[in-house]
Amino acid sequence: MSSQQEQIREAARAYLEGGVVSVVIGYEHGPKGQVRPAFVYEAGDVDRLIWSRECNQNLTTYLHSFKHSPRRGAPVPRVAVVVRACDARAVNLLLHEQQIERDNIKVIGVVCGDREARGQERQACRYCQEREPVIYDTLVEPEAPVKLSETPDDYADILEMEEWAPQERLAYWLTEFDRCIRCYACRQACPGCYCFECVAEQVDPHWSSIAVELPEKFFFHVMRAFHLAGRCVGCDACEAVCPMDIPLSKLNRKLAKEVEDLFGYRTGDDPAALPPLATFNPEERLPL
Amino acid sequence: MASEKLFEPRIVGFLCNWCSYAGADLAGTSRTQYPPNVRIIRVPCSGRVDPLFVLKALQDGADGVMVLGCHPGDCHYQQGNYIAQRRYALMHRLLEFIGVESGRLYVDWVSASEGKKFAQIVTEFTEQVRALGPSAIRPRPAGVALAAGEVCA
Amino acid sequence: MRVLTQSQLNEWLDDLATRLRLVAPVDVQGRLLYRPVRDHEAIAWGYERSDMSPKTWTFPATEAIVTIEQGSETQINDAPPPDPTVIFGVRPCDARAALAIDALFLEKEPRDGRYAELRDATTLIGLACPEMWDSCFCTVVGGLPNGTDGLDMLLTELEGREHGQSYAVQVLSAKGERLLAGVTVQDRDVALPEPKLTEGLPTLSPSSEWKAAFDDVYWQRLGDRCLACRACTFVCPTCRCFDVRDEVASRRPGHTVFERLRAWDACTSAPYRRIAGGHNPRPTPQSRLRNRFYCKFMYYPDDFGPLGCVGCGRCIDTCPVSIDILEVISDVARLAARESAEVRA
Repeated sequence: MSSQQEQIREAARAYLEGGVVSVVIGYEHGPKGQVRPAFVYEAGDVDRLIWSRECNQNLTTYLHSFKHSPRRGAPVPRVAVVVRACDARAVNLLLHEQQIERDNIKVIGVVCGDREARGQERQACRYCQEREPVIYDTLVEPEAPVKLSETPDDYADILEMEEWAPQERLAYWLTEFDRCIRCYACRQACPGCYCFECVAEQVDPHWSSIAVELPEKFFFHVMRAFHLAGRCVGCDACEAVCPMDIPLSKLNRKLAKEVEDLFGYRTGDDPAALPPLATFNPEERLPL
Repeated sequence: MASEKLFEPRIVGFLCNWCSYAGADLAGTSRTQYPPNVRIIRVPCSGRVDPLFVLKALQDGADGVMVLGCHPGDCHYQQGNYIAQRRYALMHRLLEFIGVESGRLYVDWVSASEGKKFAQIVTEFTEQVRALGPSAIRPRPAGVALAAGEVCA
Repeated sequence: MRVLTQSQLNEWLDDLATRLRLVAPVDVQGRLLYRPVRDHEAIAWGYERSDMSPKTWTFPATEAIVTIEQGSETQINDAPPPDPTVIFGVRPCDARAALAIDALFLEKEPRDGRYAELRDATTLIGLACPEMWDSCFCTVVGGLPNGTDGLDMLLTELEGREHGQSYAVQVLSAKGERLLAGVTVQDRDVALPEPKLTEGLPTLSPSSEWKAAFDDVYWQRLGDRCLACRACTFVCPTCRCFDVRDEVASRRPGHTVFERLRAWDACTSAPYRRIAGGHNPRPTPQSRLRNRFYCKFMYYPDDFGPLGCVGCGRCIDTCPVSIDILEVISDVARLAARESAEVRA
């Protein structure tokens, strides 16, 4: 069994040589050894692609850059993307929401082990129950069987926070958002955030001041979390890219917990299931 | 003589045109008394109420927000209230988690004939929010914080 | 040479904090930011480089330029005069960055009155860097770890056990002299320690070589992975683009308050250059990213004099997709060499 890195390169080579796609989005090493997204356009360049414990950026966000035809009359580009198990669910999300066509993408799904971020194990990986992507065109098998984590996300840290008084929780979030600089890296890195004009930046209607002050930052993060309710795949890209180390995924995980609790739904698992806020059940009566 | 001025909560109510707004209107024409704290915004359907509106109301100084729609099964647009139901079940939980007491959001169904019910829930909700006190989320004062230069960046 | 011991410095800072607003590097939940401090103990001593630059104290992230109150009469209020401020612990790169921003806001017409007010009210006390750290490259863009440009005063930590923890003090302006008036300093015969410089850094290509490289496919490839966030611009001490919006601050019956707000913006973000009607001259992340580098190394120096980069390296550390300005500088030099080679052949 060839290494996962080799399998990725093979798949990329086949897709590019066969003219199946015009670009393969994967990971490469920069000159200083740092892992970064790679865009490979030529079959001869596939050896740039790597696979390591540090490959943990959600590349599906780049699918939005290729979903439109580049100019009148030109076809929508076909793209191959390397995905981890969590990223694959984002592909399902984008398919549900009709942002991409299944025929225009090739998913190189990697059975991934624990990922590393900034020298530490990724929290999201600690809870991962799947490892094998739910959608793929090419499955990149592991050299040795990958151990599933022992426990699913038990939301222990969230349950603990739920025991605090509301004022303590508010103080916690205001402290965290205080150092937010409203750079929107979290929004830009997220595959679920693709509005042409975000409400945070709209002039008409004028939802939010452009001020980089606490009330506006609070509003932005809470609103963004809610707009991702039932849509967030838990890839933690938002938290990983934040220059100020704000624990953003806690908000999203809280909503994921409630969505699971109320609707028995996890984003992107079932290709046929619609996100719960995009549909309804007339028999349902929920606590309000 | 010291008299304590009661805290008067500022409440924003999103009422759907076909049921709850008509119900509120009925309360008015029936001369049923209810507290004046609620400012009503008429929307076509409770399903039109984006959680963004609730957040913005809170951010702009509301102490409480109401979202009132048609009873399940009676929505003028068939399904708007089912979607509202899902959204607001989640919104309660998110608000609670970020430290805004979920008692500041009230979602219910009021039909066009339920003028008395409307008056009753507004009265109860006003007292509920009064007991919670002013919302800790305050709008940024005009010019003040910025002039002092205590910017955060 | 004037010398302050650590305890003299502490005492002086404590005193300054009682008389005006003292801003210094502070640890905020693990991030190093310039914030007001009440005494020397709040300062995160022993830091290398802060995560956000002190630029926000002269060019705030958000500012109400003008407030308009509309009641029975209309009243227009300028922003109130700024509090006198001392920023302690400014690294030489960040001070050069302040000069770079001055070139636009102060030295070109129209002069930015508000910025001028803030600059006048602010005194910069620098702290020399003993070495260049991991992502630093100030020497590539004409700076030095112990440079004095733009500072009112520079403190350099003295080496050698005989000095204890103490600092050589170079007063560089009248503002600095006034600030130090009445403060007990020692007089010692010391040589300023030389900072350790990083070797093997690339050479910055002149503006003309950047111009020649503009259409190279390199910029398309580099920009592929740009997320079009604003992180690099916001951490940058020289970036100075902003958005202005007129907003309603409060509305009561018979009395409305409007604000004209200025807030940081970034040329890398999609809506930055979008105009009425929806047209965007820089619609792709690739074109916007290229613009950012060209602004720093060609447009800004051509139009205003100083480079738009001081080599602090914050963008290198911050970019989530490892777009590295130092790599770009090397690459442009290689692109330039390739072009010249072709021309010669």
